[in-house]
Amino acid sequence: MLMKALSIMFVMIFTQNYVLVQFLGICPFLGVSKKFDSAIGMSGAVVFVMTLASAATWTIYTYVMVPNNLEYLTTIIFILVIAALVQFVEIFLKRYMPPLYQALGVYLPLITTNCIVLAATILNVDNSYTFLESCVNGFSAGVGFALALVIFCGVRKAVENARPPKCFEGLPITLVAAALTSLTFMSFTGMAEKLFGG
Amino acid sequence: MKKQWQILLNGIFRENPVLILLLGCCSTLAISVTVLGSLGMGAALTFVLVCSNIVISALRKVIPDKIRIPCYIIVVATFVTLVEMVVKAYMQTLYDALGIFLPLIVVNCIVLGRAEMFANKNNMIDSLFDGLGMGIGYTMVLTAMALVRELIGAGSLLGKQIIPEEYTIRILAQTPGGFFMFGCMMALLVWGLDRHGKKFKPEMGCDENGCSNCAMAGSCTSKEKEAAN
Amino acid sequence: MNGVMIAVSVLCAIGAVCALILVVASKYMSVPENERFPAIRACLPGANCGACGYAGCDGYANALAEGTETRTNLCVPGASGAAKAVAEVMGVAAEEVVRQVAFVKCNGDCEKAGHKYEYEGIQTCSAANILFSGEWACPNSCMGYGDCERACPSDAIHVVNGVAVVNPAVCTGCGICTRTCPKHIISLRRFAEDRVQVRCSNTQTGGVARKACSTACIACKKCEKTCTHDAIHVVDNLARIDYDKCVGCGECVEQCPNGVLVKL
Repeated sequence: MLMKALSIMFVMIFTQNYVLVQFLGICPFLGVSKKFDSAIGMSGAVVFVMTLASAATWTIYTYVMVPNNLEYLTTIIFILVIAALVQFVEIFLKRYMPPLYQALGVYLPLITTNCIVLAATILNVDNSYTFLESCVNGFSAGVGFALALVIFCGVRKAVENARPPKCFEGLPITLVAAALTSLTFMSFTGMAEKLFGG
Repeated sequence: MKKQWQILLNGIFRENPVLILLLGCCSTLAISVTVLGSLGMGAALTFVLVCSNIVISALRKVIPDKIRIPCYIIVVATFVTLVEMVVKAYMQTLYDALGIFLPLIVVNCIVLGRAEMFANKNNMIDSLFDGLGMGIGYTMVLTAMALVRELIGAGSLLGKQIIPEEYTIRILAQTPGGFFMFGCMMALLVWGLDRHGKKFKPEMGCDENGCSNCAMAGSCTSKEKEAAN
Repeated sequence: MNGVMIAVSVLCAIGAVCALILVVASKYMSVPENERFPAIRACLPGANCGACGYAGCDGYANALAEGTETRTNLCVPGASGAAKAVAEVMGVAAEEVVRQVAFVKCNGDCEKAGHKYEYEGIQTCSAANILFSGEWACPNSCMGYGDCERACPSDAIHVVNGVAVVNPAVCTGCGICTRTCPKHIISLRRFAEDRVQVRCSNTQTGGVARKACSTACIACKKCEKTCTHDAIHVVDNLARIDYDKCVGCGECVEQCPNGVLVKL
């Protein structure tokens, strides 16, 4: 049980990192990784939302949708629930935890229509995880995103010092830097099986 | 008819969703590994885009402003579920190639972005052509990337092996190759536009200059944008 | 038909529950927002430069809206346009903005300043600064690779003969160059009031500084002794001017043996 959870965590954070391996969440990855503070804020918001969303959607899937044979409505219901959840979290934070809202609040609406959250929740049900495994999956995917974002922030700082060819200035050289960063994550292939016995 | 034709061409060239507006990056990078996948994804996205544009445009006077985003999402999700079912039933290979990105068309920035920026301000015919143009532009970029990635990365084209596997640059067909190809394509575009005297600097995200530099401004729902307005 | 009914009702139920939760939440957990904040914020340019002294335009607008700040003329990039707009929103008389321009605290061009080593790396100030504080003998010198020039949105600062020079006529005082310079030797000065400036940032002792650059401040204290207004003092081997006391007479400028001081 614990091994499965650890294995999921390792795979989601490293081997199948949502941003650098699975190409999910590229828009905020490229947009928010310029400043370290916004990167941390965004990461926090994503981890928070993904864990909650995983829990909420799994519950609705198992107790409402499966008994009524409504699996085909997954996309619609999940995105509805995620949108409502994020909106609720925003209102809640604004009222009861203003400092946290100041830090994360701006990014919460940006996450709603983001691939990552929906992808994680759909993968939860596709892989038939239990409730605990789903939450771990959501949390780990968020942490993986945070890791990629923070690492890339540092990479971008170094890229800023350079003078690339004129046509590569701005986004193109950033993408090349992202290519190299994702190359490093390819080194984790095959480790999960060896470490956690598959 | 001329206006609609202009709108169509606008979506393909002047405001190409992937290269100029910088929307829909996730699916571009992930799907452009095979030409078949690109064409299939392009077709699926065009269908969803056209249909949702028409419906949202038809309902634009009815939907209250405060809850327009959830309403758009519901409309788009309906069409995506439809496409999902059709593809799963009749095109199993395409379904496997697209994987999770098929249901993810719901949150594809292009669809919501065009709904927000175009469909809720224009009539149904114009929205139809806008959706068509954007979809075709998207398909073109994806296919162009896929041609290079599949040919050089895997040595095949539409599934048929053309270049023997020993001579392929395998990395192009994987994740780093996607980023790299996209970066090179964008640099090529900047260089090409520069030659014609048009300055274009692709940037993403919230920075000191507010929304003017942000390609996602059209579909952005953040508070910073509300404050700036 | 039964399947369709179940699907429709489940979807409607979920939608209704979500909507209900959100309506209740927005009613009972709402935070009263200051009405004037959006209007005031709209008058500000959004550069988030910090020249007003607050953390970004949001900070300044917030302070104005709450009433903790009453000066409407603190926005430098926005200049009188922003000041007038803000004053209008707040219903007070408009005040003129104190014009600020940037100033580079270094005069060590290629003839005057010496090198420690020959640098052949990435041709940017921030990259050169990483290697032993740059190739120039003085550790606080302008490196002359033009990071500030490239960052300036108004084309007001240029590298001339190895040192950056600001054109005060064009400079808007936005402060972007002050943040770009890796050595932090560019600062903002009040255009009309702060006329006398120290064109050096070197804090090394006199002998070492003189060897590094022929126009470095050697902390001889001649300016301090000359000044009758107690406005200039040598602190940490570098002359520093207190602009609350400086009247701009320029006596210290004539007395400086190395030409470090200048009256603009």
